[in-house]
Amino acid sequence: MNVKSLVKRNYKKQPEIDFPDYKSSIFRAPKNKKISIPSNLEIFGPIFNKNIISKLDNDLTLNFSKNKMSPLGHKIIVHGTVSDQFSNPIKGALIEIWQANAAGKYLHQDDKNSAPIDPNFSGCGRSLTSSDGSYEFLTIQPGPYPYPNRGIEWRPMHIHFSIFGESFGQRLITQMYFEGDPLINLCPMVNSIADEKAKKSLVGKLDTSRSNIQNILAYKFDIVLRGVKQTYFENRQEGL
Amino acid sequence: MKNSNKILDETPFQTAGPFLHIGCMPNKIKINNIYKNDLGEVPFKNKNEIEMITVEGSVFDGNGIALDDVMLETWQCDENGQFFEDNGFARFIPNKLTKQFKLFTVKPGQVENLHGKNQCPHICLSISSRGLNMTLNTRIYFEGDDLINDPILSIIKNSKGNIDSLVAKKIKKNIYVFNVFLQGNKETVFFDI
Repeated sequence: MNVKSLVKRNYKKQPEIDFPDYKSSIFRAPKNKKISIPSNLEIFGPIFNKNIISKLDNDLTLNFSKNKMSPLGHKIIVHGTVSDQFSNPIKGALIEIWQANAAGKYLHQDDKNSAPIDPNFSGCGRSLTSSDGSYEFLTIQPGPYPYPNRGIEWRPMHIHFSIFGESFGQRLITQMYFEGDPLINLCPMVNSIADEKAKKSLVGKLDTSRSNIQNILAYKFDIVLRGVKQTYFENRQEGL
Repeated sequence: MKNSNKILDETPFQTAGPFLHIGCMPNKIKINNIYKNDLGEVPFKNKNEIEMITVEGSVFDGNGIALDDVMLETWQCDENGQFFEDNGFARFIPNKLTKQFKLFTVKPGQVENLHGKNQCPHICLSISSRGLNMTLNTRIYFEGDDLINDPILSIIKNSKGNIDSLVAKKIKKNIYVFNVFLQGNKETVFFDI
Protein backbone atom coordinates (compact mmCIF):
# COMPACT_ATOMS: atom_id res chain seq x y z
CA MET A 1 0.00 0.00 0.00
CA ASN A 2 1.09 3.57 -0.67
CA VAL A 3 1.23 5.85 2.32
CA LYS A 4 1.73 9.58 2.30
CA SER A 5 4.05 11.15 4.81
CA LEU A 6 6.15 14.26 5.19
CA VAL A 7 9.80 14.47 4.18
CA LYS A 8 11.85 14.03 7.31
CA ARG A 9 12.90 17.31 8.85
CA ASN A 10 16.62 18.08 8.55
CA TYR A 11 17.50 19.53 11.94
CA LYS A 12 20.98 20.54 10.71
CA LYS A 13 19.25 23.27 8.71
CA GLN A 14 17.12 24.41 11.66
CA PRO A 15 17.90 26.50 14.74
CA GLU A 16 19.25 24.91 17.89
CA ILE A 17 16.40 24.85 20.38
CA ASP A 18 18.66 25.01 23.43
CA PHE A 19 20.74 28.09 22.58
CA PRO A 20 21.74 30.04 25.73
CA ASP A 21 22.97 33.08 23.74
CA TYR A 22 19.25 33.69 23.31
CA LYS A 23 18.53 34.09 26.99
CA SER A 24 14.81 33.33 26.88
CA SER A 25 15.58 29.84 25.63
CA ILE A 26 17.43 28.88 28.83
CA PHE A 27 14.34 28.01 30.88
CA ARG A 28 12.05 27.21 27.96
CA ALA A 29 13.93 24.95 25.57
CA PRO A 30 13.17 21.27 26.27
CA LYS A 31 16.27 19.26 27.18
CA ASN A 32 15.24 15.81 25.97
CA LYS A 33 15.67 14.62 22.43
CA LYS A 34 12.52 14.74 20.30
CA ILE A 35 10.97 11.36 19.60
CA SER A 36 10.37 10.54 15.96
CA ILE A 37 6.85 9.42 15.06
CA PRO A 38 5.25 8.74 11.66
CA SER A 39 3.63 11.85 10.21
CA ASN A 40 0.88 10.14 8.26
CA LEU A 41 -1.88 11.78 10.30
CA GLU A 42 -0.49 15.29 10.18
CA ILE A 43 -1.01 15.68 6.43
CA PHE A 44 -4.76 16.40 6.14
CA GLY A 45 -5.22 20.06 7.00
CA PRO A 46 -6.10 22.66 8.15
CA ILE A 47 -6.78 24.57 4.96
CA PHE A 48 -8.29 28.03 5.16
CA ASN A 49 -11.07 29.35 3.01
CA LYS A 50 -10.53 32.55 1.07
CA ASN A 51 -13.71 34.02 2.54
CA ILE A 52 -11.76 34.74 5.76
CA ILE A 53 -9.61 37.27 3.87
CA SER A 54 -10.66 40.89 3.37
CA LYS A 55 -9.32 43.18 0.69
CA LEU A 56 -6.95 45.15 2.92
CA ASP A 57 -5.64 42.23 4.95
CA ASN A 58 -2.34 42.27 3.01
CA ASP A 59 -2.04 46.07 2.91
CA LEU A 60 -0.59 47.14 6.25
CA THR A 61 -0.29 50.72 5.04
CA LEU A 62 -4.09 51.01 4.98
CA ASN A 63 -5.63 48.27 7.13
CA PHE A 64 -5.22 50.24 10.37
CA SER A 65 -5.07 53.79 9.07
CA LYS A 66 -7.41 56.43 10.44
CA ASN A 67 -8.99 58.76 7.88
CA LYS A 68 -6.67 57.33 5.21
CA MET A 69 -3.61 58.74 6.97
CA SER A 70 -0.43 56.91 6.01
CA PRO A 71 1.75 55.27 8.63
CA LEU A 72 5.20 56.83 9.05
CA GLY A 73 8.17 55.28 7.32
CA HIS A 74 8.83 54.16 3.79
CA LYS A 75 6.61 51.72 1.98
CA ILE A 76 7.89 48.31 0.98
CA ILE A 77 6.49 45.39 -0.97
CA VAL A 78 7.33 42.00 0.48
CA HIS A 79 6.58 39.23 -1.96
CA GLY A 80 7.62 35.74 -2.94
CA THR A 81 6.34 32.23 -3.34
CA VAL A 82 5.47 29.37 -1.03
CA SER A 83 6.50 25.99 -2.39
CA ASP A 84 7.21 22.54 -1.00
CA GLN A 85 10.60 20.82 -0.99
CA PHE A 86 9.86 19.33 -4.43
CA SER A 87 9.37 22.84 -5.89
CA ASN A 88 5.60 22.42 -6.15
CA PRO A 89 3.91 25.78 -5.56
CA ILE A 90 1.48 25.69 -2.63
CA LYS A 91 -1.80 27.33 -3.44
CA GLY A 92 -4.01 28.70 -0.68
CA ALA A 93 -1.24 28.74 1.95
CA LEU A 94 -2.15 31.14 4.75
CA ILE A 95 0.60 33.63 5.60
CA GLU A 96 0.14 35.76 8.70
CA ILE A 97 2.70 38.48 9.42
CA TRP A 98 3.45 40.82 12.31
CA GLN A 99 6.09 43.47 12.71
CA ALA A 100 7.26 46.60 14.50
CA ASN A 101 6.51 50.05 13.06
CA ALA A 102 9.10 52.32 11.44
CA ALA A 103 10.37 53.38 14.87
CA GLY A 104 10.89 49.77 15.99
CA LYS A 105 7.83 49.67 18.26
CA TYR A 106 5.15 46.96 18.38
CA LEU A 107 1.54 47.81 19.06
CA HIS A 108 1.57 45.52 22.09
CA GLN A 109 1.31 46.17 25.83
CA ASP A 110 4.33 43.96 26.54
CA ASP A 111 6.63 46.04 24.32
CA LYS A 112 8.55 48.17 26.83
CA ASN A 113 10.67 49.94 24.20
CA SER A 114 10.33 53.73 24.58
CA ALA A 115 9.89 54.36 20.83
CA PRO A 116 6.52 55.85 19.78
CA ILE A 117 3.55 53.86 18.50
CA ASP A 118 2.07 54.87 15.18
CA PRO A 119 -1.71 55.39 15.38
CA ASN A 120 -2.03 54.35 11.73
CA PHE A 121 -0.07 51.14 11.91
CA SER A 122 -0.79 47.85 13.69
CA GLY A 123 1.83 45.64 12.02
CA CYS A 124 -0.77 42.92 11.41
CA GLY A 125 -1.48 41.36 8.02
CA ARG A 126 -2.34 38.13 6.25
CA SER A 127 -2.75 36.68 2.79
CA LEU A 128 -3.53 33.43 1.01
CA THR A 129 -1.14 32.39 -1.78
CA SER A 130 -2.41 32.39 -5.37
CA SER A 131 -2.57 29.32 -7.61
CA ASP A 132 1.14 29.78 -8.46
CA GLY A 133 2.07 29.91 -4.76
CA SER A 134 2.79 33.65 -4.85
CA TYR A 135 1.99 36.18 -2.15
CA GLU A 136 2.45 39.90 -1.66
CA PHE A 137 2.24 42.40 1.19
CA LEU A 138 2.38 46.17 1.10
CA THR A 139 3.78 47.45 4.37
CA ILE A 140 6.26 49.82 6.03
CA GLN A 141 9.94 49.14 6.59
CA PRO A 142 10.11 47.96 10.22
CA GLY A 143 12.77 49.60 12.38
CA PRO A 144 15.41 47.74 14.39
CA TYR A 145 14.93 47.90 18.17
CA PRO A 146 16.71 47.25 21.45
CA TYR A 147 15.64 44.38 23.72
CA PRO A 148 17.00 42.83 26.90
CA ASN A 149 19.08 39.72 26.28
CA ARG A 150 22.73 39.54 27.40
CA GLY A 151 22.42 43.17 28.43
CA ILE A 152 20.67 45.29 25.83
CA GLU A 153 21.00 44.02 22.26
CA TRP A 154 19.42 45.13 19.00
CA ARG A 155 17.18 43.02 16.81
CA PRO A 156 17.80 43.38 13.09
CA MET A 157 14.87 44.71 11.07
CA HIS A 158 12.49 41.80 10.57
CA ILE A 159 8.97 40.66 9.82
CA HIS A 160 7.48 37.63 11.59
CA PHE A 161 5.87 35.04 9.32
CA SER A 162 3.46 32.27 10.30
CA ILE A 163 2.61 29.87 7.48
CA PHE A 164 0.05 27.10 7.08
CA GLY A 165 0.60 25.04 3.93
CA GLU A 166 -1.69 22.11 3.34
CA SER A 167 -1.21 20.37 6.65
CA PHE A 168 -0.39 20.72 10.35
CA GLY A 169 2.94 18.95 9.81
CA GLN A 170 4.05 21.64 7.34
CA ARG A 171 3.42 24.41 9.84
CA LEU A 172 6.22 27.02 9.90
CA ILE A 173 6.85 30.09 12.03
CA THR A 174 9.85 32.17 11.06
CA GLN A 175 11.20 35.68 10.47
CA MET A 176 12.32 37.50 7.35
CA TYR A 177 15.34 39.80 7.58
CA PHE A 178 16.43 42.52 5.16
CA GLU A 179 19.41 42.26 2.83
CA GLY A 180 22.37 44.36 3.96
CA ASP A 181 21.33 44.81 7.60
CA PRO A 182 24.56 44.62 9.67
CA LEU A 183 22.58 43.55 12.76
CA ILE A 184 21.67 40.19 11.20
CA ASN A 185 25.04 38.59 11.95
CA LEU A 186 25.00 39.83 15.54
CA CYS A 187 21.57 38.39 16.33
CA PRO A 188 21.56 35.31 18.59
CA MET A 189 18.19 34.20 17.22
CA VAL A 190 19.63 34.16 13.70
CA ASN A 191 22.84 32.57 14.96
CA SER A 192 20.91 29.73 16.60
CA ILE A 193 20.96 28.37 13.03
CA ALA A 194 24.46 26.94 12.48
CA ASP A 195 24.14 26.35 8.74
CA GLU A 196 25.18 29.46 6.79
CA LYS A 197 23.03 28.71 3.74
CA ALA A 198 19.98 28.13 5.91
CA LYS A 199 20.66 31.40 7.73
CA LYS A 200 20.90 33.28 4.43
CA SER A 201 17.60 31.83 3.24
CA LEU A 202 15.85 34.02 5.84
CA VAL A 203 17.15 37.23 4.28
CA GLY A 204 14.70 38.96 1.92
CA LYS A 205 16.54 40.16 -1.18
CA LEU A 206 16.13 43.67 -2.54
CA ASP A 207 14.15 43.20 -5.75
CA THR A 208 14.89 46.12 -8.08
CA SER A 209 12.56 44.73 -10.74
CA ARG A 210 9.63 45.60 -8.47
CA SER A 211 11.11 48.54 -6.59
CA ASN A 212 10.33 51.47 -8.86
CA ILE A 213 6.57 51.41 -8.66
CA GLN A 214 5.50 54.58 -6.83
CA ASN A 215 8.88 54.80 -5.09
CA ILE A 216 8.38 51.62 -3.15
CA LEU A 217 11.25 49.29 -2.32
CA ALA A 218 10.51 45.63 -2.89
CA TYR A 219 11.97 42.59 -1.13
CA LYS A 220 11.63 39.00 -2.27
CA PHE A 221 11.31 36.22 0.26
CA ASP A 222 10.60 32.68 -0.93
CA ILE A 223 9.39 30.12 1.57
CA VAL A 224 9.83 26.34 1.38
CA LEU A 225 7.57 24.05 3.41
CA ARG A 226 8.09 20.33 3.93
CA GLY A 227 7.28 18.06 1.01
CA VAL A 228 4.79 15.21 1.06
CA LYS A 229 6.06 11.91 -0.25
CA GLN A 230 4.45 8.58 -1.01
CA THR A 231 6.08 5.50 0.40
CA TYR A 232 5.25 1.92 -0.41
CA PHE A 233 4.70 -0.31 2.62
CA GLU A 234 4.31 -4.04 2.57
CA ASN A 235 1.07 -5.00 4.16
CA ARG A 236 2.42 -6.60 7.28
CA GLN A 237 1.29 -6.31 10.85
CA GLU A 238 4.35 -5.30 12.82
CA GLY A 239 6.13 -1.97 12.65
CA LEU A 240 4.93 1.31 11.24
CA MET B 1 5.30 17.88 -9.69
CA LYS B 2 8.11 19.63 -11.51
CA ASN B 3 10.73 17.55 -13.23
CA SER B 4 13.47 17.99 -10.67
CA ASN B 5 15.31 15.56 -8.46
CA LYS B 6 16.63 18.27 -6.22
CA ILE B 7 14.95 18.41 -2.84
CA LEU B 8 14.95 21.95 -1.50
CA ASP B 9 15.76 22.70 2.12
CA GLU B 10 12.82 23.59 4.30
CA THR B 11 12.89 27.26 5.39
CA PRO B 12 14.28 27.39 8.94
CA PHE B 13 12.13 28.32 11.92
CA GLN B 14 12.67 31.39 14.08
CA THR B 15 11.04 32.17 17.38
CA ALA B 16 7.50 33.54 17.30
CA GLY B 17 8.63 36.05 19.94
CA PRO B 18 6.52 37.79 22.58
CA PHE B 19 4.31 39.80 20.20
CA LEU B 20 2.79 36.98 18.15
CA HIS B 21 -0.71 38.12 19.14
CA ILE B 22 -0.46 41.03 16.70
CA GLY B 23 -0.36 38.67 13.75
CA CYS B 24 -2.13 35.59 15.07
CA MET B 25 -4.87 36.87 17.39
CA PRO B 26 -5.13 40.64 16.99
CA ASN B 27 -8.65 40.85 18.43
CA LYS B 28 -7.34 39.40 21.71
CA ILE B 29 -5.11 42.44 22.17
CA LYS B 30 -7.69 44.99 21.04
CA ILE B 31 -6.52 45.34 17.46
CA ASN B 32 -10.16 45.02 16.53
CA ASN B 33 -10.62 46.67 13.20
CA ILE B 34 -8.74 44.38 10.86
CA TYR B 35 -10.06 40.80 11.12
CA LYS B 36 -13.66 40.04 11.96
CA ASN B 37 -12.62 36.98 13.96
CA ASP B 38 -9.35 35.57 15.14
CA LEU B 39 -8.38 32.33 13.46
CA GLY B 40 -9.29 29.07 15.23
CA GLU B 41 -11.59 30.54 17.89
CA VAL B 42 -13.69 27.37 17.74
CA PRO B 43 -12.35 24.07 16.42
CA PHE B 44 -15.66 22.87 14.93
CA LYS B 45 -18.67 24.70 13.61
CA ASN B 46 -22.18 23.27 14.01
CA LYS B 47 -21.49 20.89 16.86
CA ASN B 48 -24.42 22.01 18.97
CA GLU B 49 -25.98 18.59 19.54
CA ILE B 50 -22.74 16.86 20.46
CA GLU B 51 -21.33 16.45 23.94
CA MET B 52 -18.26 18.63 24.27
CA ILE B 53 -15.17 18.24 26.42
CA THR B 54 -12.92 20.84 28.01
CA VAL B 55 -9.15 20.37 28.09
CA GLU B 56 -7.52 22.84 30.46
CA GLY B 57 -4.00 23.31 31.75
CA SER B 58 -0.88 25.42 31.83
CA VAL B 59 2.50 25.50 30.13
CA PHE B 60 5.33 25.55 32.68
CA ASP B 61 8.91 26.66 32.08
CA GLY B 62 12.02 25.23 33.79
CA ASN B 63 11.43 27.43 36.85
CA GLY B 64 7.95 26.00 37.32
CA ILE B 65 6.36 29.26 36.22
CA ALA B 66 3.10 29.00 34.29
CA LEU B 67 3.58 31.02 31.10
CA ASP B 68 1.06 33.44 29.68
CA ASP B 69 2.83 34.45 26.47
CA VAL B 70 2.68 31.08 24.68
CA MET B 71 0.40 30.27 21.76
CA LEU B 72 -1.15 26.82 21.52
CA GLU B 73 -2.60 25.34 18.35
CA THR B 74 -4.50 22.09 18.07
CA TRP B 75 -5.50 19.89 15.18
CA GLN B 76 -7.83 16.92 15.51
CA CYS B 77 -10.41 14.71 13.87
CA ASP B 78 -14.10 14.79 14.82
CA GLU B 79 -15.96 12.40 17.14
CA ASN B 80 -16.11 9.79 14.34
CA GLY B 81 -12.40 9.80 13.61
CA GLN B 82 -12.90 11.85 10.47
CA PHE B 83 -10.43 14.60 9.49
CA PHE B 84 -11.72 17.65 7.66
CA GLU B 85 -9.61 20.19 5.79
CA ASP B 86 -11.44 23.20 7.20
CA ASN B 87 -12.51 22.01 10.64
CA GLY B 88 -10.66 20.72 13.67
CA PHE B 89 -8.14 23.54 14.10
CA ALA B 90 -8.03 25.73 17.22
CA ARG B 91 -5.67 28.42 18.44
CA PHE B 92 -5.59 29.78 22.00
CA ILE B 93 -3.47 31.35 24.73
CA PRO B 94 -3.50 31.04 28.52
CA ASN B 95 -5.61 33.50 30.49
CA LYS B 96 -3.41 36.36 31.75
CA LEU B 97 -4.68 36.03 35.33
CA THR B 98 -5.13 32.29 35.83
CA LYS B 99 -2.31 31.31 33.39
CA GLN B 100 -4.63 28.51 32.26
CA PHE B 101 -5.72 27.69 28.74
CA LYS B 102 -9.08 26.09 27.99
CA LEU B 103 -9.91 24.16 24.84
CA PHE B 104 -13.62 23.48 24.32
CA THR B 105 -13.98 20.81 21.67
CA VAL B 106 -15.38 17.40 20.74
CA LYS B 107 -13.62 14.32 22.01
CA PRO B 108 -11.86 12.95 18.93
CA GLY B 109 -12.67 9.43 17.76
CA GLN B 110 -10.25 6.64 16.96
CA VAL B 111 -8.37 6.99 13.70
CA GLU B 112 -7.37 4.15 11.47
CA ASN B 113 -3.64 4.06 11.03
CA LEU B 114 -1.33 2.06 8.82
CA HIS B 115 -2.11 -1.66 8.45
CA GLY B 116 -5.57 -1.16 9.86
CA LYS B 117 -4.26 -0.47 13.35
CA ASN B 118 -6.19 2.16 15.23
CA GLN B 119 -4.71 5.18 16.93
CA CYS B 120 -6.30 6.12 20.21
CA PRO B 121 -8.26 9.37 20.38
CA HIS B 122 -5.81 12.22 20.52
CA ILE B 123 -5.38 15.89 19.70
CA CYS B 124 -2.21 17.18 18.00
CA LEU B 125 -0.82 20.15 19.90
CA SER B 126 1.81 22.69 18.90
CA ILE B 127 3.38 25.33 21.11
CA SER B 128 5.07 28.52 19.95
CA SER B 129 6.51 31.34 22.06
CA ARG B 130 9.34 33.62 22.95
CA GLY B 131 12.33 31.51 23.91
CA LEU B 132 11.37 28.66 21.59
CA ASN B 133 13.46 28.78 18.42
CA MET B 134 11.15 26.18 16.88
CA THR B 135 7.50 25.35 17.36
CA LEU B 136 7.10 22.24 19.56
CA ASN B 137 4.80 19.35 18.66
CA THR B 138 3.16 16.92 21.03
CA ARG B 139 -0.17 15.09 21.48
CA ILE B 140 -2.97 15.03 24.03
CA TYR B 141 -4.31 11.54 24.82
CA PHE B 142 -7.13 10.89 27.29
CA GLU B 143 -7.16 9.03 30.58
CA GLY B 144 -9.64 6.20 30.50
CA ASP B 145 -8.99 5.20 26.89
CA ASP B 146 -7.34 1.92 25.97
CA LEU B 147 -3.88 3.44 25.57
CA ILE B 148 -1.91 0.19 25.76
CA ASN B 149 -2.39 -0.72 22.11
CA ASP B 150 -1.79 2.68 20.59
CA PRO B 151 0.99 2.40 17.97
CA ILE B 152 2.40 5.89 18.63
CA LEU B 153 2.45 5.45 22.41
CA SER B 154 4.27 2.13 21.82
CA ILE B 155 6.99 4.05 19.99
CA ILE B 156 7.22 6.48 22.92
CA LYS B 157 7.43 3.60 25.37
CA ASN B 158 10.16 1.88 23.36
CA SER B 159 12.10 5.15 23.31
CA LYS B 160 11.70 5.36 27.12
CA GLY B 161 9.64 8.53 26.79
CA ASN B 162 7.38 9.74 29.57
CA ILE B 163 3.97 8.51 28.38
CA ASP B 164 2.23 10.08 31.38
CA SER B 165 3.15 13.49 30.03
CA LEU B 166 0.92 12.86 27.02
CA VAL B 167 -2.23 11.81 28.89
CA ALA B 168 -4.84 14.34 29.96
CA LYS B 169 -6.26 13.48 33.41
CA LYS B 170 -10.00 13.32 33.80
CA ILE B 171 -11.07 15.45 36.77
CA LYS B 172 -14.82 15.61 36.17
CA LYS B 173 -17.26 14.40 33.57
CA ASN B 174 -16.02 15.84 30.24
CA ILE B 175 -13.27 17.87 31.89
CA TYR B 176 -9.62 16.97 31.40
CA VAL B 177 -6.41 18.55 32.68
CA PHE B 178 -3.34 18.62 30.46
CA ASN B 179 -0.24 20.46 31.68
CA VAL B 180 2.82 20.95 29.52
CA PHE B 181 6.28 20.97 31.11
CA LEU B 182 8.97 22.46 28.89
CA GLN B 183 11.76 21.27 31.19
CA GLY B 184 12.45 19.35 34.41
CA ASN B 185 11.77 15.81 35.57
CA LYS B 186 8.21 15.96 34.26
CA GLU B 187 9.33 17.30 30.85
CA THR B 188 6.67 16.63 28.23
CA VAL B 189 7.55 14.37 25.31
CA PHE B 190 7.90 16.40 22.12
CA PHE B 191 7.81 14.85 18.68
CA ASP B 192 9.75 14.98 15.51
CA ILE B 193 6.77 14.49 13.17
